[in-house]
Order: sequence, then structure tokens, then C-alpha cells
Amino acid sequence: MGSALHKAIELILSADAELLNILSVTARMSLQSSLLALLLGVPLGIWLGACRFPGRGVLVVANRTLMGLPPVVCGLLFYMLFSGVGPFRHMKLLFTVKIMVMAQVALITPIIISNMETYVAGIAPAVRETAKGLGLSGWKTFALLCNECVYQIISVYLLAFARSIAEVGAVSMVGGAIAWKTNVMTTAIMQYTNRGSFSLGIALGMILMATSLLVNIVISLLQRRLSR
Amino acid sequence: MKKILSLLLVCVMLFGLAACGAAEKPAQTGAPTPAPTEAPTAAPTEAALVVDTCILKEADDKMRNTYTLLAVNPDAPFTDADGNAVSDVAVNTAGADALIHWMLSQEALDMAGNYGVAEYGEHLFYVKDDAPVYTGEIAPATEETKTIRLSTTTSVKDSGLLDDLLPVFESTYGYTVEVQSAGTGKAINAAKFGNADLILVHSKSQEEAFVEAGFARVVDGFEAERISFIYNFFVLCGPSADPAGVADCDSVLDAFAAIAEGKYPFISRGDASGTHTKELSLWPEALGITADAASFADYTDWYISANAGMGACLVMAEEMGAYILTDKATFLTFVANDGVME
Repeated sequence: MGSALHKAIELILSADAELLNILSVTARMSLQSSLLALLLGVPLGIWLGACRFPGRGVLVVANRTLMGLPPVVCGLLFYMLFSGVGPFRHMKLLFTVKIMVMAQVALITPIIISNMETYVAGIAPAVRETAKGLGLSGWKTFALLCNECVYQIISVYLLAFARSIAEVGAVSMVGGAIAWKTNVMTTAIMQYTNRGSFSLGIALGMILMATSLLVNIVISLLQRRLSR
Repeated sequence: MKKILSLLLVCVMLFGLAACGAAEKPAQTGAPTPAPTEAPTAAPTEAALVVDTCILKEADDKMRNTYTLLAVNPDAPFTDADGNAVSDVAVNTAGADALIHWMLSQEALDMAGNYGVAEYGEHLFYVKDDAPVYTGEIAPATEETKTIRLSTTTSVKDSGLLDDLLPVFESTYGYTVEVQSAGTGKAINAAKFGNADLILVHSKSQEEAFVEAGFARVVDGFEAERISFIYNFFVLCGPSADPAGVADCDSVLDAFAAIAEGKYPFISRGDASGTHTKELSLWPEALGITADAASFADYTDWYISANAGMGACLVMAEEMGAYILTDKATFLTFVANDGVME
């Protein structure tokens, strides 16, 4: 572990071009996918949590099942669809960052929906009562509800980001771990491990954790400020 | 706010201290990895501290490991996952031709043949005597042909050979080669799914099946679909104590028989890779070990089908004191990279 720490520091200080590329691809992929999933998942989650309609229970159970979708299965699905012989072959998306983002969004969105749904279902009755007492319209009730969710949304975003930066099964399948193009931290760690360069793998893992720590500190501070 | 920040700082410092404390220990014993020794019997005790697994059997004719280039045929009988024919699969034939032409040029063959001599003190790959040499023109990249998808086996990638060769090709002719590395079985499947323009693999039987199914094509300037150009050797590795005594066996077949006889642990790749295919051909026929999991159900007390990459399997072999078949290039790279957890 000690030599790995030295290597990690050395790697960062050397500003190795390939490492910088891996870092930038990782950042691009995980930021894009977590934000897209947030945009999709939060409205759906609030809708599922706040509204009562027939078939809601089925949707909730279906969504919770999707939360357990194994990343490799998700990756395999996208691989088959966008393969050279797959139905979407003309889009030429296989082994690009775009398809990695798509696979990640498919994996993360159910988690966001479920988290939002659980939270909103808990606070919705109270919010509805307050809104009724104040005589607020439907839209204003919705706005009030969203306002109550801000703290939760930030927590959920952190979850989404952590999940997408740490994921390896799906991205290695659809991205192919191609150097200078689709190689992210996790797939690079796998490659180093296969070459026996364990300390280099651990070094990359440390950089990954440090990045995660930074993002978490920034967002937690933001969360505190917003919730005050 | 300030309290939180200082708390965080303390956490980070504690983490750093713990990590540095751990750093002290390996620093004392952390002698540099000794160069992998060739001597089959006399593994020095110092080396045993770092990597106990060593080469026990090599340079047997049965252990020759030949690498072959195959260009993917755009008019191959591609089928989708449901078995329906797909006719318009995009394959960059011009790019594949250029890369194959360059790989068979004298310049590239010399580079491949000399790869590793400076770093490891010996050849990792040898150029085949009868490798066809290409002397004609090599087409430079155009907008449509500049991206070449090469699907390849892990050994040429993990040993660093491709990282050594490809940049020269890319900078001279303007192509970008996207390398995807997996076991030979997976690499061939990637081509069958229309995700590769050419493949570089090492399993004769699987290559021939690929050609027979019509997935390969003959490249201009060559006579056959399969272009075998470099080789190295598989090596049988195991614990330096060598309980099965394979180092003293006359042939590699006897060595495998001795391992099976004594039920000494053996790690199999188990992933339809070229190495796995080779290993299956070396067991005594009476055992009936094939790629099918049912065929070794009775041997699970010593035959371990890992279904993992070469590196992961080497770690397992090291941890379990097991025997393992590997290509020499990957083994040497693995050892040189300090391939053992501290």
C-alpha cells in the first residue's frame, strides 16, 4: 500500500498525458451520466411519490426491480443493440463515451427514482395539507414540494455520481476500454491488474477516491448552505 | 462550518499517517524484483520471497504459440442475436488492409522481433521464418478509413507489444487504431458481431473455424486468410518447489500427466482464450477435459477453472501454489511489474 501511495503521488505530479486523458474521460462520463439521470429521475420520482393513480404500485415495484439490474446485463443489452450487427448499428455508437453515458443513465435513473419516491411519499401528505390550508393551486403545491426536496435531491445526486464513477461492468463492455478514447479509471484499474501492476492499480484507485472526496466535500458544503 | 472543515482535515491527516505507517514495512523488504530466472530447478530463495511461481517447462515444440492476423470480410454471413442475416455491416476494409500491410513490413517485423530485448533481456516474440513480408505501398488514411478497430488477444496488449508498434504506424500514416483486448474467443466473437475490422489472435482451431464460416478475407498481396507472422512459447509455470516434478519430465505432455496423476492444483483460464485452448490440448486424453464445465466436474479438487484474464489467474496460481499455463511474454511482463500483492 505504501508504494502505491508513492506511485499515486508520483503519477499526479508527473501529469502523465494518458492519466490526464483517463481522468478527463472519467469526469466527462460520470458528470454527464449523473446529471442526465438526475434530470430524468427526479421529476419521475416526485411524480411517483406524490401522485396517487391506478397502476402506481406496479410502476414502483417495476422500478425497484430495475434497481437490481446487474451492470453487466445492462452493458450486454446495449452491446447487442449497438453492435455491428445490432438494430441500431447505423448510429455507430459502440465504443464511444456517448453509449457509456447511455448505459450509465439506464443503470442510475431507477435508483434516483426510487430514492425520490420514498422520500416524497413520506413528506407529501404534510405538504398537501399545508398547501390546502394556504389555499395554494396545484402548481404551487408542486413547487412547494420541490422546494422541500432540495436537500434530498443533492444527496441523491451524490449517490448517482458515486455510482457512475465507480461502475465498471457496463462501461467496460460498451466502451471497450480503448486507450485515449473510452478508458476510464475503473477499466484502467482492471487493465493494470491484469498486467500485474497492482500498485499502479491501487494508485489509480486512490486518485479515484480523492476525486470522489473532493466532489463530496464541495457538494456537502453546498447542501448545508442551501438547507439553512 | 469551521468545525466541519477542521474535522475533515483531521480525517485526511489520520488517513495519510496510516498510509505512511504502512509504507514503512514494504520499504524494508522491498528488494527490487529479481529478473525472472530461466533455470527451472534452482529458484533462488530471494526470488521466492517476491514471486514464487516460476517457469518450469518451456521451449517444447508442443508449446509454440503462433499469432495470426485476420481481416474481417464485410460480406461475411453476419447474423444478429436472433440469427437473422444482416447484410450491411460497416467494416473498414481499407484501414484493415493498411494495418496488415504495415504489420508485415520489414520495419514492423523487426520491431516485433526485437521487442522486450532491452527491457527483459530476451525476446518476447519471434518473427516466423516463413512470415510473408510486404514490400508494396501502404495507403495513408482518409477521412472515412482513419479509424481502425483491432480486436486482439490480451497477451499482445498486456505485454506492451502493441503500445510499442502502433504509435509508429499511426503517426506515419495518420490512422487511429482502437485496440480492444480480450481472450481469443471473445476477440473472435467481437468480429462476428461486426465490431472489429481485423483481429490478432492465437488459436489455430478457432481461427480456422472463423475462416471456414466465411468471416475472413484474403488481403491484397497475401495468399491466405490467416497471416501467421510472430510466435513465442507457452510456458508451464508453478511453485518453485515443483511437487509434481514437472521440470524433470521429458515432454510437456508428461508434465501435464504428472500434474493430473498427483492431483496438484492447476489453474485453467477457462475462458475460451488461446491459452485455454492450448491447455485443453495438453491433458492426457483419458481425462476427457474439454471447454465444457461438465467434463471436469470430477476434478474440481485440483482443476480450477478460473474464467479470468491471465493476470488474475497468475495471482491465483501464486496464492495457491498452483501450476498454470501462460504465454511467456505475459509472464515476464507480469513478474517485471512486481506481480504480487504485498
